[in-house]
Amino acid sequence: MHIVVLIKQVPDMNAVRIDKGTGRAVLSDQRVISSYDAYAIEEALRLKERHGGEVTIISAGPPSVKDALTRALAMGADRAVLVQLADVHELDTLAVARVLAEQIRQIPYDLVLAGQSSDDYESGQVPPHVAELLNLPMVSSVMGLEIEGERLILRRDVEDGSQTVEAPMPALLMAITGLNEPRYPSLKGIMAAKKKPLDLVEASPVEPSRLSWTEPEAPERTTSGVIVQDLPAAEAAQQLVGWLREQKLVS
Amino acid sequence: MAGIVVVGEVGAGGLRPVSWEALAAGRAVAEALGEPLVGLIMGSGVDEEARTFGAGLDRLLVADQPELDMLTAETATAVLAAAIRDVEPSVVLMPGTTLGRDYAPRLAARLGVPCAADCIDFAVEDGALVAVRPVLGGRVQSVVRFTGEGPWLATVRPGSFEQAQTASDASPAPEAVAVELSADDLRVSVRETVEKQAGPTNLTAAKVVVSGGRGLKEPDNFRLVEDLARVLDGAVGATRAVVDAGWRPHHEQIGQTGVTVSPRLYVAVGVSGAVQHNVGMHGSDYVVAINRDPDAPIFKIAAFGIVGDAFEVVPAIIEALEAGRG
Ligand SMILES: Cc1cc2nc3c(=O)[nH]c(=O)nc-3n(C[C@H](O)[C@H](O)[C@H](O)COP(=O)(O)OP(=O)(O)OC[C@H]3O[C@@H](n4cnc5c(N)ncnc54)[C@H](O)[C@@H]3O)c2cc1C
Ligand SMILES: Nc1ncnc2c1ncn2[C@@H]1O[C@H](COP(=O)(O)O)[C@@H](O)[C@H]1O
Repeated sequence: MHIVVLIKQVPDMNAVRIDKGTGRAVLSDQRVISSYDAYAIEEALRLKERHGGEVTIISAGPPSVKDALTRALAMGADRAVLVQLADVHELDTLAVARVLAEQIRQIPYDLVLAGQSSDDYESGQVPPHVAELLNLPMVSSVMGLEIEGERLILRRDVEDGSQTVEAPMPALLMAITGLNEPRYPSLKGIMAAKKKPLDLVEASPVEPSRLSWTEPEAPERTTSGVIVQDLPAAEAAQQLVGWLREQKLVS
Repeated sequence: MAGIVVVGEVGAGGLRPVSWEALAAGRAVAEALGEPLVGLIMGSGVDEEARTFGAGLDRLLVADQPELDMLTAETATAVLAAAIRDVEPSVVLMPGTTLGRDYAPRLAARLGVPCAADCIDFAVEDGALVAVRPVLGGRVQSVVRFTGEGPWLATVRPGSFEQAQTASDASPAPEAVAVELSADDLRVSVRETVEKQAGPTNLTAAKVVVSGGRGLKEPDNFRLVEDLARVLDGAVGATRAVVDAGWRPHHEQIGQTGVTVSPRLYVAVGVSGAVQHNVGMHGSDYVVAINRDPDAPIFKIAAFGIVGDAFEVVPAIIEALEAGRG
């Protein structure tokens, strides 16, 4: 079974700060694999362990993405492709998806796995775009995966509960928390990764983005509620309790 | 023919609330652009929902056929593509649900048009649609501008708009959307949906819920939440982050993948207020938030917020409440 996994390298979201002066987000230099993508990698490795085959990791981005790909190779993937795209953050999701779809077309595959959404821009749009461009059936929010004969049996998490769906292969699946517990690279894996192929390829011509966006800023507070700040705990607590009594929420 | 198409979604319990939010957003965009407002409902046996949704709209499109009973990304994309071909709208707003966020980007790629995900506000500037979407964990927002040929697509984040009030009882005559589903559209099939287990009644029926999040740092510190719940005579809830970490049992999880609560008073302690959490509690009458981070999204839905350290503030609240009782 040939599996392609799409991963994105993102700044560590646990280290985002808001600059009080500008209201802008200050991102950490620490770059990691977007969290849902780790489930996609892990699931691909488990499928390979059970059914044989090859796992190819593809990511589009700047040279730093090599670190993310190397980590995926150390976890056990067979080969990695870095599609060089320095300005990936200035492109809209459809432009990125076109570049990724073009790469995927070059290799044989039975499954494409991706994350449910990226940690930084959280659009969740790249995988559905890719599925459409490759004319693949897609299933999102995948929490469980089994193969029965030629068919995928998938458990997903939706608003109304837990859903079981069936899909043929090839297909594109989007992974969320609960699918598995991603492994850490072993020392042996880290050594082995150094000898695995990591290809740098040029992106296919990028089509113009149809969406443009401003640099993210902290919103003006829109709450109509009362916010108390910079008060000693006892005083803040007194104000809250006074308010709770006014609203008749406590006696 | 121009127009703003707003897609409503029918779930297990009827029309999902986000349908009304999308409609409110769509109405404002339609007024700004001076274009008609068109509703769209798809499914099987959705007559009644369609009529309810269509009240007061300029046009109502309905795709009602057995294959659409359990919608998938592919079947919904086919419906939308057919409707867009008929109506040629300039903007299509879709619910930011699991389904909507599957088919909206799929549709965008099919038509080669832009799509903005999970938007919390819209405006029209110089004839172009702009949308606001939260990014980087929801603490900051980006303004997205659409350019070029439409239709321009966007999904609406649940819980970010006031639900539209039906403007009149009169519903326009439903227009059927003729959808030819291909074999490719039917590759994914839904076997079954097992409804969420309702949580223990003391949580879903409680008048007061006190919930704790990762801000409590350690499982033992949940004692603070339990103590506060006791003096407020409430039930204890939790975020997914702490349930995943094994601090609390799953039946206490509130949100998209947990239970939905709508108590009179909801107190969130060390909870950031992620959208997936908020959808499970935004029906609460009063939300009180205690969080160290003044930019935490939970403050946006709080009627009363305290920016401070839970380890200092919560004991002080308990003391003040007990003192008041004498
Ligand atoms: C498909 C999907 C479904 C999901 N379903 C759910 C769901 O059903 N329910 C749910 O809750 N989540 C759900 N989530 C997860 C959700 O996105 C958030 O990750 C989660 O709600 C965050 O939990 P939290 O607020 O406890 O943690 P965090 O986001 O880490 O927030 C902790 C907060 O504590 C504050 N804090 C830290 N120290 C202190 C202190 N000393 N005093 C006061 N405050 C402090 C911080 O400022 C921060 O705001 C889902 C996610 C996905 C992708
Ligand atoms: N630049 C990229 N390279 C490879 N995969 C990506 C890239 N951007 C997004 N993806 C994939 O698409 C998923 C959702 O990302 P997004 O649509 O940006 O929220 C990610 O979890 C990845 O699996």
